[in-house]
Amino acid sequence: MLSDIQLRHFRCFDALDCEFAPGMNVFVGPNAQGKTSLLEAVCVLLRLQSPRVSKLAHAIQHGRRGFVLDGHFAQRHMQFYFSRERKKLAVDSVEQKSSLDYLDIGRVVYFANPDIELVRGMPDHRRKFLDFVAAQLDSSYRKTLRAYEKALRSRNLLLKAPRQNWREISAFNAPLIETGNAIAKARTKLVTALQPHAEIAQRAISNSAENLELQYVPGGGENFADALEKSRNEDLRLRQTSAGPHRDDLAFFLNDTASEFASEGQQRSIALSLKLAQAKLLEQRIGTPPLLLLDDIFGELDVTRRNALLQNLPAGAQQLITTTHVDWMARDAGQLFHIAGGKLTKS
Amino acid sequence: MKRVEYPPAIKELVAQLKRMPGIGPRSAERIALWMTQSRDARTPEIANAIRAVAEQVRPCPQCGFFTSETLCEICADESRTNEQLCVVEQATDILPLERTGVFRGRYHALGGRISPLDHIGPEQLRIDALMQRVKQEQPHEVILALGADVEGEATANYLAELLREYPVSVTRIAQGLPAGGGLESADELTLSRALSGRIKLA
Repeated sequence: MLSDIQLRHFRCFDALDCEFAPGMNVFVGPNAQGKTSLLEAVCVLLRLQSPRVSKLAHAIQHGRRGFVLDGHFAQRHMQFYFSRERKKLAVDSVEQKSSLDYLDIGRVVYFANPDIELVRGMPDHRRKFLDFVAAQLDSSYRKTLRAYEKALRSRNLLLKAPRQNWREISAFNAPLIETGNAIAKARTKLVTALQPHAEIAQRAISNSAENLELQYVPGGGENFADALEKSRNEDLRLRQTSAGPHRDDLAFFLNDTASEFASEGQQRSIALSLKLAQAKLLEQRIGTPPLLLLDDIFGELDVTRRNALLQNLPAGAQQLITTTHVDWMARDAGQLFHIAGGKLTKS
Repeated sequence: MKRVEYPPAIKELVAQLKRMPGIGPRSAERIALWMTQSRDARTPEIANAIRAVAEQVRPCPQCGFFTSETLCEICADESRTNEQLCVVEQATDILPLERTGVFRGRYHALGGRISPLDHIGPEQLRIDALMQRVKQEQPHEVILALGADVEGEATANYLAELLREYPVSVTRIAQGLPAGGGLESADELTLSRALSGRIKLA
């Protein structure tokens, strides 16, 4: 569990210290007081990436050079310093050259309102979700993904050049295919592993026999190398790489009907089921339940879904929950914090 | 009130030292003061060493390694074979390979690798010179000893494609497990490369 965190110069917080309780921790306060930023900080501390923005520089407090996050998870002391120029990681006060060991310490599942975009939004939301989970299951996934992105960006840059040089462009095919196949394989395995958990979660949340099916749609087709070869002329004309895992998607079917045709309530349930499946899968693979971050999602859920969600979270998992009001919460359910104007008080 | 500063000579030295890699303003000042104050500093010798490097050392016109002669030590060595030509990214990659003592052929440093994101294309590298050497020296084998990352691999593929037109066998140095490393610590990509690059034992 996460026992404490200290924030320095992170978003609206100049300095904030917080000690957490096991089980449920509820942060209550009006909007725009930093509740989401606190959960974001926890996610960044454990996973070195933000669920809100792709560039961590956005999380630096205005006018500051960098932020520091410092906390203890599972008795390991984790420290992360980030500025635009450099970043530093330390585990138990020992500086880490690579993020491999650091990222092997804590896992998180982040529930938030925009999760519905996982179902009705653009495919990049779904790829980001898959990457976030895959990186928590396999520490080498991030490295492979970075290498794929580098090969892809290099190839696309060459395709955009005024004078395209095919020999140079195709020199990047082999690394693109090698890393792309590794990414596609990891995502396929992940979707297969999520399927049974998502199915169970969907039944529980919808309180019905709704059958949820996840389908991985590879952007590189059945055979990425063939697809790349076939799209050669198209790539030269469009000046970008048209096939590959960067075009992957994840499709959802409710009782064999595509999720585009599902109601908003059903789409919300699918998104919740995915996150619950992530929690269950992480628990199953890692052996301990992940830290659950639930950012103000209870307002949007009806009572049935809210209760179903609470009941289906991995038992014994530590939860950090933000909310604007606590009337839905049972008394003495957990530790209550009030957050206002960048200050935190326990009650 | 006017702020008192170091004399111009020291300030200039600090400014020059600061330009060096890994030396910040604090270190630059420390080194400059040490040169001025310490008897152990032997500044004329330092100055001579720097001058000698600037005046005499240049890349070997043939392989790109450092030399102060017409050809570098390796290219001038008659006892080495022309049969094998080992291509590396940087001149500094030659020494670690030399230290193994395994290789007795010639080297060719490209001066980098193809990296579109850094605006480095084949034209910026010593690739034409490499083709000239392959034509003239007619090695049996060109060994590509490039990095195992995306750009290193792309550069190797590019060269392999170009060398196809010559009667030379093109090989890549093996990739895989570090010596003394176990299988369990290797990531999937490394292992799959190690598997595809396996060698026959019996």
